[in-house]
Amino acid sequence: MPIVLIGMNHKTAPVEIRERLALSCDDPSRAMTGIRDLPPLREVLYLSTCNRVEVLAHLADETRGIDDLKAFIFSHGNLSKEELETCLYVYRGDMAVRHLFRVASSLDSMVMGEPQILGQVKEAYRQSVAHKVSGLLINKLLHHAFRVAKRVRTETAIASNAVSVSYAAVELSKKIFSRLDGKTVLLVGAGEMSELAARHLLKNGAGRIIVVNRTLENAVRLAEDFQGIPAGFDSLEERLKEADIVISSTGSPGFVITADMARRALWRRKNRLLFLIDIAVPRDIDPAAGEIDNIYLYNIDHLQEIVDENVQNRMREAEKAERIVEEEVARFAEWKNTLEVVPTIRSLKDRADGIILGEMEKSLSWIRDLREEDRTRVEILVHSVVNKLLHEPVTSLKEVSQNDGILAYVAAVRELFRLDGLEKKGRPWGKEKESEEKEKPS
Amino acid sequence: MMEPWIFKTALFAYLLSTGGYLASILVRRVFVARVSTWILLAAFSVHTLFIIVRWRTTGYGPVVSIYESLSFLAWAVCGGYLIFQTMTKTRVLGAFVAPLCFLLMMLAAMGLTGENIVPDILRGYWVPAHVFFTLTGEALLALACLAGAMYLIQDHALRAKKAFRFSRYLPPLRDLDRINHLSLLWGFVFFTAGILAGAVWAGTVWGKPWQWDPKQVFTFLSWILYVLLIHQRLAIGWKGRKAAFLSILAFAVLLFSLAGVHAFFTTIHDFS
Repeated sequence: MPIVLIGMNHKTAPVEIRERLALSCDDPSRAMTGIRDLPPLREVLYLSTCNRVEVLAHLADETRGIDDLKAFIFSHGNLSKEELETCLYVYRGDMAVRHLFRVASSLDSMVMGEPQILGQVKEAYRQSVAHKVSGLLINKLLHHAFRVAKRVRTETAIASNAVSVSYAAVELSKKIFSRLDGKTVLLVGAGEMSELAARHLLKNGAGRIIVVNRTLENAVRLAEDFQGIPAGFDSLEERLKEADIVISSTGSPGFVITADMARRALWRRKNRLLFLIDIAVPRDIDPAAGEIDNIYLYNIDHLQEIVDENVQNRMREAEKAERIVEEEVARFAEWKNTLEVVPTIRSLKDRADGIILGEMEKSLSWIRDLREEDRTRVEILVHSVVNKLLHEPVTSLKEVSQNDGILAYVAAVRELFRLDGLEKKGRPWGKEKESEEKEKPS
Repeated sequence: MMEPWIFKTALFAYLLSTGGYLASILVRRVFVARVSTWILLAAFSVHTLFIIVRWRTTGYGPVVSIYESLSFLAWAVCGGYLIFQTMTKTRVLGAFVAPLCFLLMMLAAMGLTGENIVPDILRGYWVPAHVFFTLTGEALLALACLAGAMYLIQDHALRAKKAFRFSRYLPPLRDLDRINHLSLLWGFVFFTAGILAGAVWAGTVWGKPWQWDPKQVFTFLSWILYVLLIHQRLAIGWKGRKAAFLSILAFAVLLFSLAGVHAFFTTIHDFS
């Protein structure tokens, strides 16, 4: 049963191509209906984000299927074959499984460890289910992928610690103030980075925002954005005493906040802790202010250093995560192998033999009293009943294996006779664990 | 006689909790630390039971002998920490408190089992009251000192910028300052009450409440330091680093009066 994954991501395709494809595939249900009608597809998952487009498919016919899928992507994205061929990657079998696991656990993301991708994969799966293009294999594979992502998230520190300057500012604020509830943020000047930091702080509970700008209109406009309070530049010192976290990013050539201003503000706010963040170049805040007790001053280089260190840390954690992915790929392959016809017939027979053996043992007390030949007769009788009973299912399995619906058949037989439980004993790793986890919603 | 059995259970629970806290730092799982906190609570409950049972069997407040006092000190430190734990997110403090309690209990275990002969002058209500209040106060002031030390480390880590990796394991500054503040206030109240109870007792037994004994002098010195610290905190608005530093200094003096004085001076505060 060939699993194939075709796609492109931020590493293989330039943004111009990704955006054209993502744009035209923006409406997932339109893409779904298009894909669904491709003849050699049994099951399909279509994932499109701003950094990647991936099509995971369970094909009936591998070679023809891949060409059809590619053709679909070309036509859908309005791209020429030559343009696209260079950016596409095609993974088969275990490689496809591995890629999906890596994507879901955010190992393949532009910002490694970012949490959104898992939600996007889940949404893509929901679409597949809604359009009835998911079957046994995709269901199993995706649920496995969600579990891998969860393992990676809990067993490695890949998603912890800020890897952007604005998040580093939030983490530091928490190290100082514990909780940000009711804390006041003072924005001095404007800039993408400082606005982003302010937004993160608000999202993490900060109470209100005061915006100070040289041009009052800008302050008013920005304050409206944050539902904050605008203030003129001359009131900066006054506002400094109210603020707990100050983010400064003006274009001023000299210091906007001097050490004396900070000292006076601290005195007036009765020594309550003050966190100054200076992301302007040239700097806005006199470094001497950082020497004062109860004032903590971080400039853009300090924040960047933290980010760099955290990125390094994530790299190390990524190695652990890759090992987890490898483990899980092997585990999935193991499961997939059980879906072959011959091993299933064998375990079905094993199961039957096991039952006979067990029942004979139970009746040992009276069988023992029988004569030798009667004993043999009983044994023959029991065996022939069981064999007759199994004859039809086994023949059907063999016949069906010639055509398409085999997976469902094999799965049904395994489920009905609980064959997976039978094999558990001989298995080095946990079917057990998997079935436990299945009960929890993923 | 079930006392030794209860005591050993408490001791074992403290050990278990200590192991749990240390493991939580090694494996970096909050869950492990959370379990350790519950174990610590269990240890504290069993310990409370032990103190009650002992009180009933001996008939006097079980804080008179040095071993009983050590056990009680562990109990007070543990109780103080558990209260702060519910108020702030400073679970890492438990990694210091649990081993400290275990250590105190080990020391207490050396002499608890034997029967104590209590000198006649230590009988009555004033001595247990004196020991109870001073030890509770000292336990809280020890917590203040611990929180202060952690504050200084975290403050240094934040100022040095590069030490961010280490500071991750320490609680936020505000929480540490709050623990320092609260345990300082309550510790001071108990400590003062304990000193007063001691003075009243001394007045009845020795004839005068104050006689320039080295133990009394050093205790009074640390008391003065605490008065100063509380004044600076409440009236001047000291926060953070200075307050943390002074609370460590004051506790060092207190510790000397508690344990060091006996080694360097002869004191009338010696009943063995």
